[in-house]
Amino acid sequence: MCGIAGFFDKSAASGAGTGATLLRMLTALGCRGPDSAGIALWGQGDDGLIVRVKLGDGGDREARWREVIRRARRVARVRASKVQGSLLRLVVAKTEPADLAAAIERVAPDVEVVSMGQRLEIVKQVGAPAGLDAAFAVSQWTGTHGLGHTRLSTESRVDLSHSQPFWAHGTPDLAVVHNGHICNYHRLRRIYEQEGVRFYTENDSEIIGLYLARQLAAGRTLGEALRTSVNELDGSFSYLAATADAFGFAKDRFSLKPLIVAESEGCVAIANEEVALQAALGGRYQAREAAAGATGLWELPGRASARRARRGPRAA
Amino acid sequence: MGSIDCAALSVRQINESIRHLIDAGERKIALRNPGARHNLAVAILTDVAITIDGPVGYYAGGMSDGIRLTIHGSAGWGVAECLLSGTVVVDGNAGNGAAASIRGGTVVVRGDVAARAGVAMKGGLLVIGGSCGYMTGFMMQRGRIIVCGDAGDALADSMYEGVVYVGGDIAALGSDAVISEASASELAEVRATLAHHGVKGPTAFRKVVSGRKLWNYDKKDMETWKAAF
Repeated sequence: MCGIAGFFDKSAASGAGTGATLLRMLTALGCRGPDSAGIALWGQGDDGLIVRVKLGDGGDREARWREVIRRARRVARVRASKVQGSLLRLVVAKTEPADLAAAIERVAPDVEVVSMGQRLEIVKQVGAPAGLDAAFAVSQWTGTHGLGHTRLSTESRVDLSHSQPFWAHGTPDLAVVHNGHICNYHRLRRIYEQEGVRFYTENDSEIIGLYLARQLAAGRTLGEALRTSVNELDGSFSYLAATADAFGFAKDRFSLKPLIVAESEGCVAIANEEVALQAALGGRYQAREAAAGATGLWELPGRASARRARRGPRAA
Repeated sequence: MGSIDCAALSVRQINESIRHLIDAGERKIALRNPGARHNLAVAILTDVAITIDGPVGYYAGGMSDGIRLTIHGSAGWGVAECLLSGTVVVDGNAGNGAAASIRGGTVVVRGDVAARAGVAMKGGLLVIGGSCGYMTGFMMQRGRIIVCGDAGDALADSMYEGVVYVGGDIAALGSDAVISEASASELAEVRATLAHHGVKGPTAFRKVVSGRKLWNYDKKDMETWKAAF
């Protein structure tokens, strides 16, 4: 199973209580994925980069985060730093994202940049959604949109790195949550690895963000990437993806995983069970199961306000 | 009328409360605050009117025999799955597998249904006020499906028997599903059925039945089977 949830405030009011909404949705989906929980949120933002770093289990933690900061300082000016739970949060001045991530991850093999972006922040850990609030106070977070995930591991190990949401390593502000299996994962992974892409986990869901990142790098929009993914990713999937200014979903051509979309004048809420929509919106919405092969995309005002959703390619 | 507030109860407690009320002779039961939870009012084997005031999750009313269930909201996957007799009405939209494997009774979804509605139906009637998704009526064996709106891809794929009426456009017929001529009396019956359930539909319908090409083994396919095995 796995629970996935997404919330998008169409007004682009970054003061909205998106963290609390996502936490309620995730709590409702807790029984779909009892082993890990995580939230990605696109907040107020910074003209530099906000970085969340997994400090890992090895070594002296304090020595580790001091070393991470020291290495980051070689690449960029560090404006703020704070340790929360098992993650270190850094705000750094504008710099080359790849250089910064490489510098930080050189500290130790189990040190990983969990998220990086001008607006994106990801927190995740083993345990129930309630633990996220205790460790990171996510119910206080504000932002325009966010994603949430509760995990039921079926193949890969249960730890912070293997839990979701997945940042698309190397592409600032792009993150994904997924329910299902990507059956051509190993084939695609071999191709990507030959081209120099680094994988951080053995979780097949990780490849979705990397797939989307490659499409964006090739000049496609997120909407176009979601649509091509329906044919190029094989397996059962309902997934949500977002960047700093767009939010969307894709569903496999056989509709093997649930995904319920509710849209009102002010917001969009999506989850794979309606219990989560109840938690987000109360009674004021119309729920609709997304069609087989469907994708949907919403963009923050200033880019394109109208909803752009269409059916995916014919599956018959 | 018996009334159950679901908010503070577990699903098991809700279903037990329904049974207690039925055992006490109650034949009209209202469920409030269902909260889109799964497995509500399942396996009810009595002629009883149950009203659910809000959305439900998976399998609402499933495996029931004689139930008269009305859901004032949307329904998740597998609503009324395996219904034997009775009526299940959904005011909103329904998820995948609505009325899957029903053997009898009537399921009415006033809104749209997603993929695989009426899959493996073995009898009964499924009325869809709106449109239906991918593979509606897949492998159906008996019974009727009436779709007032449009039908998605692979409609009635590999159906054995039964009939599907579609008022709107058909994206694509499934394997061995064919359009057949509907008689005037048949169409009159479809319209009467819709009127009976208070569903507004178009006046014209196309009829889809099995082409019966998959009924028998075809020697021409021998090489394909050899390769497959």
